[in-house]
Amino acid sequence: MRATRDWFEDALVDVAGEHDRVVVVNCDLASATKTAKFKKTFPERFFECGIAEANAIGVAAGLAQEGYRPFVASFGHFLTGKYLEIFQSVGLNDSGVVLVGTHAGLAIGKDGPTQMGLRDLALMRTLPNMRILHPADGIETRQMLSFVAGQDQPTYLRLCRQAQREVHRPNYRFVFGQPDVVHHGRDVAVFTMGGMVEVLLDTLPELAGTGIDPTIVNVSSLPLDRDALADVLGAHRHVWVVEDHFIKGGIADELARLVLELDQDVHFGVWGVPDYGQAGSPDDLYARYQLDPIGVAGRLRKFLRRQPSIEVKS
Amino acid sequence: MISVTDDTGPRLDHMRKFANQSRQVLLEMIYHANSGHVGSSLSCVDILSVLKFDQMNWSGSVPRTESDVFVLSKGHAVPAWYAALIVSGELEADHTKTLRTIDSQLQGHPDRRRCDLVDVSTGALGQGLSISLGRAQAKRLKGQDCYVYCVAGDGETQEGQVWEALMYAGVREVANLILFVDYNRSQNDGAVDEILPLHPLVEKFAAFRWHVQEIDGHAHAEIRDAIINAKRNASQPSVIIARTRKGHLGEDRVVLNGSHGGTLSADEFRQAIDYLRAAA
Repeated sequence: MRATRDWFEDALVDVAGEHDRVVVVNCDLASATKTAKFKKTFPERFFECGIAEANAIGVAAGLAQEGYRPFVASFGHFLTGKYLEIFQSVGLNDSGVVLVGTHAGLAIGKDGPTQMGLRDLALMRTLPNMRILHPADGIETRQMLSFVAGQDQPTYLRLCRQAQREVHRPNYRFVFGQPDVVHHGRDVAVFTMGGMVEVLLDTLPELAGTGIDPTIVNVSSLPLDRDALADVLGAHRHVWVVEDHFIKGGIADELARLVLELDQDVHFGVWGVPDYGQAGSPDDLYARYQLDPIGVAGRLRKFLRRQPSIEVKS
Repeated sequence: MISVTDDTGPRLDHMRKFANQSRQVLLEMIYHANSGHVGSSLSCVDILSVLKFDQMNWSGSVPRTESDVFVLSKGHAVPAWYAALIVSGELEADHTKTLRTIDSQLQGHPDRRRCDLVDVSTGALGQGLSISLGRAQAKRLKGQDCYVYCVAGDGETQEGQVWEALMYAGVREVANLILFVDYNRSQNDGAVDEILPLHPLVEKFAAFRWHVQEIDGHAHAEIRDAIINAKRNASQPSVIIARTRKGHLGEDRVVLNGSHGGTLSADEFRQAIDYLRAAA
């Protein structure tokens, strides 16, 4: 069990060894965002900007325009909070910066809402050339890093703080934009991403006890490939999205738009964080917000009970 | 491409001529568009003329990943840059009538995705210096002997990000970065001294470990000498505080009373062009 930010730490050094153009722009959070190993290994390619995210984003944009592939790292909330700087210096300049936003969702826990990455997806989704990646485990993190290091497109890499297990087999191959079905079921297509993939998999035994077998889809990159999504949706009449993010603006909105555009005749439900969040232990927060396995299973059953074609046992 | 002689006198004569032509072109552009920042563009024409026609190793035919870089952080003054490109012949003259029109390369603020003669897209103020820093540090990392020139507005230095960048550049000794502050003392709502005074700007830059020079931003020889001085300092980033006048046409003439906004009436436009032609 490791956090995706920990897997990122090793993978970053690995790809930096293969790609001379990989550099890091840091914002005084090398230990938390896991760029410290890179700093130790490649000190000449490490740019410390201090607690000044706006400048760091600009410096990274300039490095990218000269041909480097900069990873600028901070908490996702702090980084994407510099929206205007990302919009202009990265987006409108088409600068090949990788914005690494760690501490996604509620998992930062006791530090509370001023540090929680709960609105980062909403902000980054508004930029037409921004690719969004959010790995579910170590295998996917490594593959995403290899993919990203070879690209030049503006990218937001969302990483988690909480320990996670590997949910993919070693032969898994990440393909940008492809929905990744981690469990094939029949009753409902459940879409999620990042640390929530493991939580969804953990609901399977309990859901099986109430006669529900969901298909679980890892949406690890945005924008989604429409045709690939249509293939997944085609086998289901019910679609449910759950995310460790504000309930508006995240992958649920992305999927809802695609479902409408694809003219799919499905019932659609959403669950996520409905407010600003608050301080508390991660376990307490995920329980309170019904984003732990028990809470998610309960929310999903509630959604399915409203669907006449689905029988949910008590 | 225009070439200039090495002799100081003729070089300055050429720059005066190019600056005068640039002023005429930018006035025509903005007049035709009926939209744009006349005063802000005119105040930095002389700085841009010395950079473009004399001091910068910059050509539209050479990728700027291999040469000097020009960043107009006060992006609203971009007609001055477009005009310099038209005067140099790198941009065809018929672009004069496309400023701020749909699908034009000549967007209202510089956009490198639409115009490859723009090195950095700017517009929302305060961001150009940080990008300049990244490009300057990249040049050093690549072992290139190149400079990055950034032109910022005086009011623009009210943006917090500028001071993040100033702190970083001074500490990191990014000596291949040369910043001009177009100190025209006027911003959107009025005089800088009334809105939010910058004084003592020299001392502030020095405290952030910058090499500071203060010059007349309309005197070409002073601009040129300041750049040469800046390049001699190999341990500090350089700022050249260029005292300018918004709407500067010549020593005895400004347009729009030095204000930030507004466009010229037909009469004002004709009078301005007549003045410049007479001074050419």
